[in-house]
Amino acid sequence: MVRVNEAPENVRLIGGEMLLWSDMSTMGGVTDWRGAAFELIARLIPASGRVLLVGPHPQMLVDEVVERAPSAAVLLRSYPDACALGERHPGLAVFCGRLEVFEAEEPYDLVLALDGLLRTHSAEAPAAAWRESLGALAGLLAPGGRLVLGVRNDLGVDRFLEARPADREGGDDQWAPHGFDPSYPSGPAALDRGLEAAGLSVRRCYAAYPGRQAPRALLSREALAAELPDALTFPLSARGGDRMLVADPLQLTRLVFRHRLGEELAPLWLAVATRPAPEGRERQDGLRGDELPYGLVEEGALLYELTPDGSKRFPDGEERPIPAGRVVEEILVEACAREDVKTVRELLEELAGWLESGGDVSAATDSLVYDGERFAAISPTAGPSTPPGPKVVLCRILWRFAVRLLAAGHHHPWPWPLEADQLTLTLCGMAGRPCDQGDLDRARKLDAELGCPADEHAPTYRDLLGARDRLADQLTAALARISRLETKLSYRERELVRSKAKLRRTQRRASAYRRTLGYRLSRRLASPRKVARRVIRLLSG
Amino acid sequence: MDESNHWYGHSRILSKYCGLSEESPKRIQGFLQHGWNYLHGFPPNDHWCSPGYPRFVWSDVLRRRGWSMGRRGHYLIGAPWIYLLHLEPELGVVPERKGTIWYPFHGWEKHSVTGDHARLADEIRNVETGPVTVCLYWLEFANPDIRRAYESRGFRVICHGERGSRWEGKGRDFLRKQLVQLRRHRRVASNRLGSALFYGASVGCEVAVYGDPMQFEDERPEYGGTARRMRLWPELHGTHVDSGLAAEVARRELGFDYQATPEELVRMFGWKRVR
Repeated sequence: MVRVNEAPENVRLIGGEMLLWSDMSTMGGVTDWRGAAFELIARLIPASGRVLLVGPHPQMLVDEVVERAPSAAVLLRSYPDACALGERHPGLAVFCGRLEVFEAEEPYDLVLALDGLLRTHSAEAPAAAWRESLGALAGLLAPGGRLVLGVRNDLGVDRFLEARPADREGGDDQWAPHGFDPSYPSGPAALDRGLEAAGLSVRRCYAAYPGRQAPRALLSREALAAELPDALTFPLSARGGDRMLVADPLQLTRLVFRHRLGEELAPLWLAVATRPAPEGRERQDGLRGDELPYGLVEEGALLYELTPDGSKRFPDGEERPIPAGRVVEEILVEACAREDVKTVRELLEELAGWLESGGDVSAATDSLVYDGERFAAISPTAGPSTPPGPKVVLCRILWRFAVRLLAAGHHHPWPWPLEADQLTLTLCGMAGRPCDQGDLDRARKLDAELGCPADEHAPTYRDLLGARDRLADQLTAALARISRLETKLSYRERELVRSKAKLRRTQRRASAYRRTLGYRLSRRLASPRKVARRVIRLLSG
Repeated sequence: MDESNHWYGHSRILSKYCGLSEESPKRIQGFLQHGWNYLHGFPPNDHWCSPGYPRFVWSDVLRRRGWSMGRRGHYLIGAPWIYLLHLEPELGVVPERKGTIWYPFHGWEKHSVTGDHARLADEIRNVETGPVTVCLYWLEFANPDIRRAYESRGFRVICHGERGSRWEGKGRDFLRKQLVQLRRHRRVASNRLGSALFYGASVGCEVAVYGDPMQFEDERPEYGGTARRMRLWPELHGTHVDSGLAAEVARRELGFDYQATPEELVRMFGWKRVR
């Protein structure tokens, strides 16, 4: 028998399986769901019942579900992925094929399709419309069963940012091009309508930030409708590795939240819906919207739940308020744009004072908020092993700010110097804590020790445009200089030619003069006197 | 471009369809799928299909699958067979169709097939009620042992000939001969799904797939083997198959909906003299 057909026993081929395909290694990759998604799923897994995972999910999430769920199954289109999963979890039922032909023996109490529906179809058949796939998915739910569905937003903030969107590159996964399916949700309202048309009732809809590759926060529609503190929204913008970007994601994402478009422009939605149970047969573990978290946010390795009154609730039950105030970097950028050096000076002095009175050593202007009186860290981070003096700490904060300010191409009032190092020393001086090159070196070492470097990013398209404009300016200046020098050169050449002609004329006149009788007579008369002078010099010397 | 473009007289049929001479087919700038296939229209080791030249494939599923495997530049024109049917609507039509034409799965010039032809012949005799014509590939036809296995059971043994090339006319009437034979028989059968079976279904033959599917000496795992064919087309396997369904599948697999116009083909194949 051919090797490719030797699948583990728990893998069942249902039709449409892709033999030579893996979703784990393709360009799109698998969404890196972590804490926030795990927490949401953990709250949804029924105490008794069947769970089905549809589409590719990260291995950790599958492991988690298999461990917690009383009975789990997975549906994948890729045959190698299905075999790998089947080998990893011998007790797990793995179905391999396309969603539309999957017939469940028994319906499921929880269906998880966090990856969405786009990767549930296969090259073996024409791609089904989104609505059709959703219908097939909804058909797998038992009455009262729950569905978690991921939906990529075609107008997400990431679409404004990426210079080369992955689905426009014509990768191997684009045999059915995305973007031409009229049933694909064109906004939160369309998503709700789609779910309702499939006979589901929406319990809660989350927006996932910062991006669809690695979502770190799930914010409910209700949370996004309210005004969220800067300390919450500022970290929710991401630059993904070496992607080519059009604009600075931070600035654009900040605008999204400021305009309260967090729901409409989320890179990804995660909808939680249920299939209504028939009248009079309400399940005991029926799900109400208000049981679901208002928001889940990962903060480094920690996870907190956002409460409707705007504080963080940690897993141990502890509640902490989210600090109010504006992000220090944004206050400084604004002051720089206004060329308001007074505000910069005062704020930096305040900051230096705060650091000297025991402020956070690992703080930075992009991780601190200031409410006019106090500084507060957006998220507590681990400090270095040996805390350096407050001067070095300040120097590091200002160096990082200088690098970010220059890299983002913000306007600033300092005409000179333009280098980050020199600007840092200027800023230290403005804070009234002058530093030297040695402090700066130590500050840089501290920054390296703290991690998260300030200038690791590839330039965005707008940066490149800025750089191009700068180069164009410099080129104009250089050309002007060259043309001025050219003019000067031709003037000098003309001068030279004129002088040469003058010289030649003079020489001609001189030789004519030498030939005259008067000149020759005077030379004759003068020569005896010359001889006499030479004799006297010899005798005296 | 490639020799396989001219096999079975494909390029000559398309030349004629385009209103050009059938005698000396021109070079096709691209790669023509030369047989029914359930990978991407070409063998797994298709490195000879230089990127940048179009791949003329028969059906959309091949395009999608090929794309998912990193191939690009597919162009759907359907099978050359549909152009032959367009050119020869009446060729070989007889008032009454009789018997079964049976195509045992064949090897080719570089790979032979292992299997027991005598046992297969017995099975055919047990199933078929009418007269049986066994059509062998020329390699097997040249082997007296294999021919005897079928002839000794009273079957007529024929061969459509070699597949030919651009320079010699040997394969030029291959498909025409096949069309004449298929239109003469009531049934077409084989031990594996293949081009001949779909060709037969497209001209109104009943279809059957049964018997030992035999094995290539070096069968590529990319195809997924017989089990995959059984999964993809369970309805076409068996001694009696729903002919309406078979005709429908044949229409899809041979790409009847993708028949191109002559002008389009002339341009796609690089047959148009462009300044």
